Amino acid sequence: MHISKYRKTHHLRDPKRQHPGVAQMKDALAEGKCSRREFIRTAALLGVGATAAYNMASHITGERILPPMIGRAHGQKKGGTLRFGMVVQEMTDPATFDWVEKSVVSRHIAEFLVLTGPDNITRPYLASGWEASDDLKTWTFRLQKGVRWSNGDAFNADDVVFNFERWLDPGTGSSNFGLFSAMLRDSGRKDDKGAAIKEMVPGAVERLDDHTVRFNTNTGLLSFPENCYNYPTTIVHRDFEKQGKDLSKNPVGTGPYELAEFQVGRLAVLKKRPGVNWNGEPLLDEIRIIDLGQDAGAYLSAIASGQIDAMYELKLETASAAKQIPSINTQQIATHKTGVIRMNVNNPPFDDRRVRRAIQLCCDTGRQLEVAHQGVGITAEHHHVAKTHPEYFKLNPLKQNIREAKKLLAAAGYGPDNRLQVQCNIGNTDGNWEQDSVAVLKEDAAKAGIDITLNVMPAAKYWDEWDKAPFSITSWTHRPLGTMVLSLAYRAGVPWNETGYNNPAFDKALDEAEALLDVDARRAKMEKVEQILQDDAILVQPFFRGVFTATSPKVKNMQIHPTLYYRFHDVSVG
Amino acid sequence: MNAEPAAGNPPQPSRLAAAGQAVWRALASFGLLRESWVGMAGALIVLVWALVALFAPLLAPVDPNMPIAPFAKPGATVAIPVSADLSPLARYLAESQEYTHTFWLGADHLGRDILSRIIWGTRTVLFYAPLATLAAYTVGILMGVAAGYRGGLVDDVLSRIADIILSFPVLVLYIIIIAIIGASGVNIIIAITFASSPGIMRIVRGLVLDLRTRDYIFAAQTRGESHWYIMLVELLPNARGPLIVDACLRLGYVIITIGVLGFLGLGLPPPDPDWGGMVNETRQMALAFPHMTLFPCIAISSLILGFNLLADGLREISLRD
Amino acid sequence: MLLLIAKRLTFMLFTMFVVSVILFVLLNTEFAGDPATRVLGQFASDHQKELWREEHGYNDPLVVRYGRWLGGFVTGDLGTSIRFKAPVSEILWPRLWNTAILGFWAFAIIIPVSLLFGILSGMREGSKLDRSLSVVGILTTSVPEFASAVFFAAIFVFGLQWLPGTSSMSDGFDWTQLVLPVMVLVVYDFGYVARMTRASMAEVMTSQYIRTAVLKGLPYKKVILGHALRNALIAPFTVIMLQINWLLSGVIVVEFYFAYKGFGALLLEASLNNDIALLEACAMIAVAVAVTTQMLADIGYTFLNPRIRFTK
Repeated sequence: MHISKYRKTHHLRDPKRQHPGVAQMKDALAEGKCSRREFIRTAALLGVGATAAYNMASHITGERILPPMIGRAHGQKKGGTLRFGMVVQEMTDPATFDWVEKSVVSRHIAEFLVLTGPDNITRPYLASGWEASDDLKTWTFRLQKGVRWSNGDAFNADDVVFNFERWLDPGTGSSNFGLFSAMLRDSGRKDDKGAAIKEMVPGAVERLDDHTVRFNTNTGLLSFPENCYNYPTTIVHRDFEKQGKDLSKNPVGTGPYELAEFQVGRLAVLKKRPGVNWNGEPLLDEIRIIDLGQDAGAYLSAIASGQIDAMYELKLETASAAKQIPSINTQQIATHKTGVIRMNVNNPPFDDRRVRRAIQLCCDTGRQLEVAHQGVGITAEHHHVAKTHPEYFKLNPLKQNIREAKKLLAAAGYGPDNRLQVQCNIGNTDGNWEQDSVAVLKEDAAKAGIDITLNVMPAAKYWDEWDKAPFSITSWTHRPLGTMVLSLAYRAGVPWNETGYNNPAFDKALDEAEALLDVDARRAKMEKVEQILQDDAILVQPFFRGVFTATSPKVKNMQIHPTLYYRFHDVSVG
Repeated sequence: MNAEPAAGNPPQPSRLAAAGQAVWRALASFGLLRESWVGMAGALIVLVWALVALFAPLLAPVDPNMPIAPFAKPGATVAIPVSADLSPLARYLAESQEYTHTFWLGADHLGRDILSRIIWGTRTVLFYAPLATLAAYTVGILMGVAAGYRGGLVDDVLSRIADIILSFPVLVLYIIIIAIIGASGVNIIIAITFASSPGIMRIVRGLVLDLRTRDYIFAAQTRGESHWYIMLVELLPNARGPLIVDACLRLGYVIITIGVLGFLGLGLPPPDPDWGGMVNETRQMALAFPHMTLFPCIAISSLILGFNLLADGLREISLRD
Repeated sequence: MLLLIAKRLTFMLFTMFVVSVILFVLLNTEFAGDPATRVLGQFASDHQKELWREEHGYNDPLVVRYGRWLGGFVTGDLGTSIRFKAPVSEILWPRLWNTAILGFWAFAIIIPVSLLFGILSGMREGSKLDRSLSVVGILTTSVPEFASAVFFAAIFVFGLQWLPGTSSMSDGFDWTQLVLPVMVLVVYDFGYVARMTRASMAEVMTSQYIRTAVLKGLPYKKVILGHALRNALIAPFTVIMLQINWLLSGVIVVEFYFAYKGFGALLLEASLNNDIALLEACAMIAVAVAVTTQMLADIGYTFLNPRIRFTK
């Protein structure tokens, strides 16, 4: 799609204009209907700068609210090398990244339109600012001027248009295709299996001028800016495809580091490029990313013996040991990462709600969190919305009830002579706690007369059938909004719907909740959403997880990110 | 199985006597162990573990899968209400409503009693390892006897298959098989049978080649006995000496294999205790809580040691004969 | 001799062919999963996966795909790893070299130590040294590698803090990182080789000609060095050659535990991810090593054993 350079009629409206949603949010904050955090986050998404949003919140609540340390601390030294323990995976095409680890390397070479900090607040980055229409369907992004690619070209709107068009081409194979599904339409063509092929709506991405791009979405999408920091949305050079479609071979980026060495499965070395300072100069001269394999124990051994300074994630199984070592600093962050022991309703015996409910009733969430996740995190309520999600509505608690479970099982035709026997797939894709969580459920379920067999398999094998298996535990990542994950996982027919769940009433309730910007109103709508999901008993969800990282004392100002999107620009060593 | 009456070959008293004699000789060879203290020590270790396996329900204080007190160190005590999850021993020791449980070997990260898990784990290992070895032997012996006795094309084909399988590193073979067909008790037995029967076949084949020129085989042939009868009743018992030694060694390897598979996360399905799996689940905490990995490691090493000592003793005796 | 080598090489090629076919078929069954999912990630849509399969020839019949792989293999193109998304040759050779280094140092210790102790205890069967070696040998071979790795790491990394805990060698070669992996391999393997040497030495010592030599009044030292040793070393030589083959799988646990970037860890990763091209290449190497070491053992045996040399 080519947009003429002379089509400059769509000029930005008054830059001082404030989205009407901001006023709504201000009222909500003043009346105590939304949290400060929620206010700041939403205001930032609606185009108010993060600092301004923090100030507004301070002003309204009358308390001084300081943004968490995002900048640098006093006495941080310039120079030096950070040795970071993390698997080094291939880094061919950022658009098709499927592991966050890949983006930790590429984030220092090629960058994003925005930046979501550890505080969940989204800030401008390659986009110097943005503006949303009242209905949240039109998003206008202004781009930073004076940014240059490492090959000398100037960064401009062509780059952004190129990236979006590429993501929205089904042939690219990017997960951004689903992320920005609000910019897709039915192409009228069908694939071999008869499923409709989607394509980008013509005109969904508009180049207004050299430094302005507009996006038009079919439905209101409040999280649009936030989506632009999702890890596969790295902005690559407009000639990425001509340059060989391989970032690791031809690492052209706007970032302050260049790829000095790259060996998959072994090592990646990032060296500071001189003179890249449009966003301030980073402190570290060199970042060495050292692959120690898949085994969590190796990372602990390495940091304990001073072979690495920091690591991607301190897995739960090593955290208890790490805390015993004085030379290691551990950091913990609450996240909405979770494991759902989900049941696929298209497979017997899970097509029977009574069976599903019985399994759900066997779960003691408090004990699960204590035992399977060492008490690190918060309990969940089987509807995939966390207490810490802004739109969370508190339902009546669903407690463990073995007697009720037995009753339901009896009604479904199971009893002492005919015990319900099911097998649960486990990939331990995010750690051994997955297996432990199912083991605890197995213990509890046995009391109700359900025999659960644990079927542990290599992670790769697990992912082969994750969305089709009758019964399995899937690890879901952190998402700032509860509705985001509900849309991705439980709407009828969406690609990630692993439960085969299809309930129009749920979809409708979710639509209603998503359409509302007003948090209080949205929360009221969430009651129905959560209740339907919990009552349909398609998942046992015991807890949301806290995650850890570990650093050596010489590492300064490294902050763990809820999605582990590390960025070392303000980190120093020594 | 076709239940056709064995009209052709009714069992004859003399054959039964021969078979009985073979069993007697096998038993007697264990009696000979007295002559080797190494063998005795090995037999004793194996016997102790076998008894532990046999009486696991009585010996283990608590249910091996019951989370009680996460990260409890060895020697820690905790009071638990009397319930069906306790062993008869624990219930006997309990005072009225409560049983004060001592974690003699500590608890793992889920709070499961390591002693109880090791005790129950004995059952797992002493069930699967001999079963897998037996399966491997059955296949290996059949192949070996057939190859050695028949010779010719049968020998060529079987030997070639064995060569091909043996030219592949064993552990790699296990990992590929398990990674493809999945980890379960049956699949582990299949993998072990597949990977170790060629080795057994080679030994048996060599023994049979040596034995088949003996007079008593010739005698049986002139009596008109069937090939399988000669192979299994006449040949095999005479080859048992080296095979018993090999079996003991192989049992040790199979235990290591099951342990390694568990260690690599390809072992028997959790949560039922399996020594290798116990090491795998807790080794990352070994730094702060060494008891979690140390005791299962000691258990598995001691059992392998038992089989190795036993094999050594038996070999010593067989050389002395 | 040349005939033997030619025969062995033919067998090697035959075995490689059979193994590659079996692996190829196994890895293309439904059990092995969908390569498109492996490459595009678990969250790719069915349509995207279908496009990828078409583009990479996965929709062709099995025979065609095998032929393509074989053609590539013969011409030195090992294909592309779906796990690492890079040419197999780029990944494989450095890994194999690392394992060779590890193996070299392990053998550099195992061979002299086990030969020395084996010969000393074989010379005096039943002596105190013999008995203690026998027990130590059985004891060390009874501790699985994963157990000794755990023990050693606990002692030397966390307890005494003498050695680094992982051996990724990311900053270039570092001998301190090699100590623990070598130690685990040595402890597990030396007992076996020592016992084999002992048995061989003991047998030689009881043989007629040694007895005669001793009876004739030759100095004991001369009998041992001049006559016994040469014959006693035939069996251990074969055993050691076969240990090279053992090492290829023996290193898996060690490399996995210490994050050593070697062939064993690569093989494990390839098989856990059903990475066809990588696994095929690794398997071919394993077979080649196995057959070659067997062949060297046979040739060496012929050279060392005077009886065989005379009869042929």
